[in-house]
Amino acid sequence: MHGFDALNPPFDRLTHAETEGLRGAVDIGYFAPGSVIVERGGSSEFLYVIIKGAVAEKVGEETQAMLGAKDTFDSEAVVHGSASASFVAEEETLCYLLPRASILELVQKNQAFAAFFYSELSRRLDAFAEHRNPSGLESVLRLRVKEARCQEAHFIDGIRTIEEAGHAMRERNSITLFVRDEGRIGIVTWTDLGEAAILKRLPLETPVREISHFDVVSVKPDDFLFEALIAMTRHKKRRIAVRSGNVYSGVLQDIDILELFAGNSQLIPGRIDRAKTVADLVPCASDIQAQVQRLHEQGIKVEVIAEITSDLNRNLISKVFELTVPPSIKENGCLFVMGSEARAEQTVRTDQDNGLLLAAPVPEADLLKFRQAFTESLEACGFPPCPGNVMVRNPVWSQPLDSFLRQLKSWIITGGGDSAMNLGIFCDSVAIAGQSDLLLRAKTTFMEMMRGEKAHLAHFANFIDQFASSDIGAFANLMVSVGARSDAVHIKKVGTFPIVHGARTLAIEKGIFETRTVDRINALAGTRIFNAEFAQNLISALHVFMELRLRSQLKARRLGNMEGESIVHMNELSTADRDILRNAIRVVREFREIVRHRFNLGYF
Amino acid sequence: MIGQMLLRLFYQASIGDQSYRFLFKKPPPGEAVSIDCETTGLNIAKDDIITIAAVRIKGDRILTSEAFEVAVRPEARIAPDSMKIHHLREADVEQEKPIRKILRDFLYFVGSRPLVGYYLEFDIKMLDKHILPFIQIGLPNNRIEVSELYYERKYGNAPPGTAIDLRFTSILDDLGLPNLGQHNALNDALMTAEMYVILRDMRARGVRVSRERTRPMHDMAMGA
Repeated sequence: MHGFDALNPPFDRLTHAETEGLRGAVDIGYFAPGSVIVERGGSSEFLYVIIKGAVAEKVGEETQAMLGAKDTFDSEAVVHGSASASFVAEEETLCYLLPRASILELVQKNQAFAAFFYSELSRRLDAFAEHRNPSGLESVLRLRVKEARCQEAHFIDGIRTIEEAGHAMRERNSITLFVRDEGRIGIVTWTDLGEAAILKRLPLETPVREISHFDVVSVKPDDFLFEALIAMTRHKKRRIAVRSGNVYSGVLQDIDILELFAGNSQLIPGRIDRAKTVADLVPCASDIQAQVQRLHEQGIKVEVIAEITSDLNRNLISKVFELTVPPSIKENGCLFVMGSEARAEQTVRTDQDNGLLLAAPVPEADLLKFRQAFTESLEACGFPPCPGNVMVRNPVWSQPLDSFLRQLKSWIITGGGDSAMNLGIFCDSVAIAGQSDLLLRAKTTFMEMMRGEKAHLAHFANFIDQFASSDIGAFANLMVSVGARSDAVHIKKVGTFPIVHGARTLAIEKGIFETRTVDRINALAGTRIFNAEFAQNLISALHVFMELRLRSQLKARRLGNMEGESIVHMNELSTADRDILRNAIRVVREFREIVRHRFNLGYF
Repeated sequence: MIGQMLLRLFYQASIGDQSYRFLFKKPPPGEAVSIDCETTGLNIAKDDIITIAAVRIKGDRILTSEAFEVAVRPEARIAPDSMKIHHLREADVEQEKPIRKILRDFLYFVGSRPLVGYYLEFDIKMLDKHILPFIQIGLPNNRIEVSELYYERKYGNAPPGTAIDLRFTSILDDLGLPNLGQHNALNDALMTAEMYVILRDMRARGVRVSRERTRPMHDMAMGA
């Protein structure tokens, strides 16, 4: 049959013969506005793919989502014989009708296609993730030499000694030097020095030109990396010179190419460690960010990317602390990060949330200087300032423990938006450097204060509905109107925030000290609040939102405009992704109900 | 309408091949057939059919799984202009079935169901060129013109002087239908069938096609 779009996931998973077979079985159905296409709890003889129109997914009177062209429903009704919701035409709607028998047959035959029909979100998600195509080695090799991280060229005169060359390498943090010798240029490496001194037992006073290689192989900055790789292989060199005209500008190593492909997360800590000034850290910070994109392109799961990124960021923050902290604060203080950074759920940097606790008062001048220096140094490394001013720079977030505890208490008592925000952000905190027991004491006291009074916790929990109206609204608008910007879903408001906030509220209630949302959810799965299966779905939903957010952040960064970094446009998603997002939102809704019910939030 | 009835009576009386009397039976309720022909050009006397496509409509279903599509050997050469429109070269259609056999299949496929089309008159005249010598009558089926349905739904209550646009693509746009690629007989027949089921239902419910340039979204009220 003509017109049926087989490129639309999940149908893109079918072979050509399977597609043709399906096409031959497809009819088209028309549904007038108001007609019920699939009844909740019922089975369905067809899988419907919308050609035009709008279909509301309804439970009772409540519209859960609005489906539009290319959306598919309802896999549960077709495969499991029981629709999770009713599907009602909202406009004049045309759908392809894919017969149940054909779908079931394809589910049997084709595993990748079948993944779309798994009932648990977590399984479906895993199956889909496996089929993402990483853009691999080839795209890397088509980069140019100047796009790789070449080492800067350092020069030494040929008459200098082996010993001097060794020191020069150490000082410049480089294992390769260019050797100037009577008009010619050679190369000497750390290995050459070692060989000369150890294996050949040459005296350390030997001029370096005697152990240098003058058959320098070079590439131009505009050459492709694959050309560099070919040159290395042909000449059996692990390092080649980069040369523009008559000037040697750098050294390209095989590892630099590998790094572009495989990522360099293992190398960044070393660079951070070697940094002597904040300025040295700036390239490390941008490496961490470049790494995020690279890992994502390679199809690494978002939770793994977040984990790697968070480890690296903490390394970096701790180094900034080391570089800026005066001895008085170092002895008495505890530096901690908060928010998504502390939960290890941040990938692309959005802002810095950090604080300092002191065991005892320190000289005022030291503190003033450090507050400024630390925050500004992080900013220089590319951590944007926190709009809510939750930073060491803010005296509220850098003070002695006992006065900070009084501060926490006053937030708990006053309640309200800002207080709840501050408490929420503090609830997710992790010590990075210094006296970590200070933070532990603050957190323990905080937990006790919160748990002591049911009303405090309920007020705090109530925050979960902060953006509650935005999901249905956004969804309804978005799919029906084909128009401009109305198909936007605010990922953070609709998805991430309710999960994170719900999990932290329940964690406080149960006295769970974990910081990461996933750990909290897993710990909660052991309680009677929800079971392990729901926990798994909730975790998957969180990862769906993180993945979508990451994609839109990377896109926003490419476009150089971070304004819409948390917005996902539904019509830019594939059908399968839309379907997964819909399911994730359904899990969030269920979770919100659990939290509301637990804290009797109906009364607020 | 009366003209169509009289023509049917006349055809019924003058049919040559009695085995085609089924064309005059009462059509199965709620069924229709959307048809389209690709031709070598737009001159009925000189040009001829290249492909015939037909899709049955049964209630609110469009039975694409059993669509009819056949390429015909043209008796006139393809006019170069027309080739640009539908991308069929003479070589593509040369090997096809003789017209008699195709017409028999077509008539059995269509039966006595009403015909649905866009500027249907042209397609029927083209088909009748072959059907008349074959069974001594033209297609007797009732005819449903989608551009008329559309005109009535969109411009039926328009103030005098309203600019009228009945182009195929305008109808697609207005009804929010994806363009499957025009000038392929089956795609055209299919899109016409889609227009028909929507317009028919709008008429039944008394809903009009808006003449506003951008359609108002009726659920903005649910906004964020």
